Amino acid sequence: MKKISALSLLTVAISAAAPAAQAGDLNINGFLSVGASMLDKNDAEIAGADNQGGFKQDTILGLQVSKQVNDSTSLTGQLVSRGSDNYSTEAAWAFVTYSANDELDLRMGRLRIPAFYYSDFLEVGYTYNSIRPAEEVYRIPFSSIDGVDLAQRFSSGDIDGTVQVYYGRYQGDFESNGTVYEADFRNVTGISVSANMGNFGSRLSYNQGELNLGSPAPTGTGLAVAQGSANGLAFLYGDSSAAEDFNISGQTSSFIEAALTYDDGTYSVLAEWTAFDHETSVLLDDQAWMVSAAMRMGEFTPHVRYSTQKDEFDSGVEGDIQKQFGLEADESSITLGLRYDYDSSTALKFEVQNHDEKTIGGADGDSVTLYSAAVDLVF
Amino acid sequence: MKKTQQMLIAILLSALSVLASAETAVIVAAGNGNGSMDSATISKIFLGKSKSFPDGSQAIAVDQADGNPAREAFNDKVLGKSGSQLKSYWSRLIFTGKGTPPKQYADDAAVKAAVAADPNTIGYIDAASVDGSVKVVGKF
Repeated sequence: MKKISALSLLTVAISAAAPAAQAGDLNINGFLSVGASMLDKNDAEIAGADNQGGFKQDTILGLQVSKQVNDSTSLTGQLVSRGSDNYSTEAAWAFVTYSANDELDLRMGRLRIPAFYYSDFLEVGYTYNSIRPAEEVYRIPFSSIDGVDLAQRFSSGDIDGTVQVYYGRYQGDFESNGTVYEADFRNVTGISVSANMGNFGSRLSYNQGELNLGSPAPTGTGLAVAQGSANGLAFLYGDSSAAEDFNISGQTSSFIEAALTYDDGTYSVLAEWTAFDHETSVLLDDQAWMVSAAMRMGEFTPHVRYSTQKDEFDSGVEGDIQKQFGLEADESSITLGLRYDYDSSTALKFEVQNHDEKTIGGADGDSVTLYSAAVDLVF
Repeated sequence: MKKTQQMLIAILLSALSVLASAETAVIVAAGNGNGSMDSATISKIFLGKSKSFPDGSQAIAVDQADGNPAREAFNDKVLGKSGSQLKSYWSRLIFTGKGTPPKQYADDAAVKAAVAADPNTIGYIDAASVDGSVKVVGKF
C-alpha cells in the first residue's frame, strides 16, 4: 500500500507538473542514480552490499517541483525514492521560502539538517565524484527535520559565504546497531557557517537535539537491552546513580563538523572532521573524518578517499559498563574511484573500496572489498 | 614522422589562433549606466552570488544554450569552470531550493535582443556579433 501511494504520488506530481512546465513559473528538476555493487565476501557491512551483488542499494530517484509564487516567496517540494529503503518514497524537502532581501532567506517546512558538507545535496550523486558519501563519516541515520531555518549570505571582497541557523523536530525511525526505534528528537537546532575564498572553502557546523527513543524492540540486542542491563550493572559496580546516565529520553546529543575544501579546477581536495557527543551513555561518543582528493583530466576524474570512524567510551563506571555491551566500532575505508562525465548532465562512476572493520560490535572485525558502478544524472 | 609533427604543430597553432580571435564580449543594454567590469564581478552575477550591478541596480544574468561555442568560451575564460562543473554547481543549489541557473537563450542574436530590451540584464556573445543596441562591459 505504501508503495502504491508513493508511486501514485510521483505520477500525480509528474502529470500535474507536465502541462504547467510550459507555463514558465513552475520548475521541475530531478536526479537519478542507478548503481550496482558487490562485496568480495560477507564478513563486514558496508553500503548494504553483499557478495551476491545487487542493483538496489545505490539506486535513488528524486523529483523536485518548485514554484515562484511572487518576487519574495517560493515553494519547493522534493520526493526521494531510495532503493536502500525498498523504494518507499518520502518528502526529503517540502518548504516555503521567503526572501526578505537578496541576502536573507527564511524557510519553513521539511528541511535537511545542514550537519555535513554534503548534507544539502547528499542524494544528488551527480554533484560529487564518489558513488556515495563516506559511510564512516556520514552516519546520522536521518536527514530531514520539520522546522524553520534562516540563511544569511554574505560577500566581502574575495570572500563569500552563508550563515544558516535552524530549529525543528524529527519524528520517525532511528536505526542504531541494527535495531529500529521510534524516535522523537525535539529541539533539534544548530548553526552552519560556510565561506569561500578563491579556490579555498571552509565549513563549520554545530548541531544538537534532545533524544527521545520509544518503542524499543521487545527482544533482541541493542540500546534497549543496554539500557535495561545498565541498571543492573551500575548496581554491581556499586554506583547506582550511573544507571541514570543510560536513559534514552530527554538527553541531549550534539554533533560538530569542520570541513576544508580546495578546488583549482584540476585538483580538488575535501577534508571533513566530525564528532558526536551523547549525554546518554547508551550511545557511544565518536569521531570520524575523511580526506578525499581528485584530479580532473577532461572528462575523466580519478579520485581517492580515506575515511575512518572510531567510538569512544565514557570515563568512569559508565565507560566500564559501555564496554560490556559490545557496541563499539573502529573502522576505516580506502576508496579508489573514477568518474567519467559522459555529457554535461550524466556521469558514470566506478569504485573499489576496501573497508576494514578493526573492531565491530566490540569484537575483532574483518576487511572486505566492495566493487561498485553507478550512473548519475540530473535533469 | 617529422612531417607529421610539423603538420600537427601547424594545426595546433591555427586552432589556437582561431580560439584567440574569437573574443567573448560581455554585454548590457545600451542604456545601462555601468562601466566595464572585471571577470570576478561578472562571475558573481552569473553564479548567482551577486544579484546587483556595481552601481547597485538589479542584475539578471542571461545565458546561452548548452553547447554554444560562446558559452563554452565564457565558461572557460570568465567562470573558469567546465560544463559538468557548472552543472554540478547549479545542481547543488537547485536541489536545495537555494538558486536557479540563469535563463538560457538560443544564440547570440537571442541574447543580444534580450539584453537590449532590459537594462537589468547582462549577457555575453561573440565579440563579432556586437552592435549599437548593446554596450560591452568586458572582453575576454
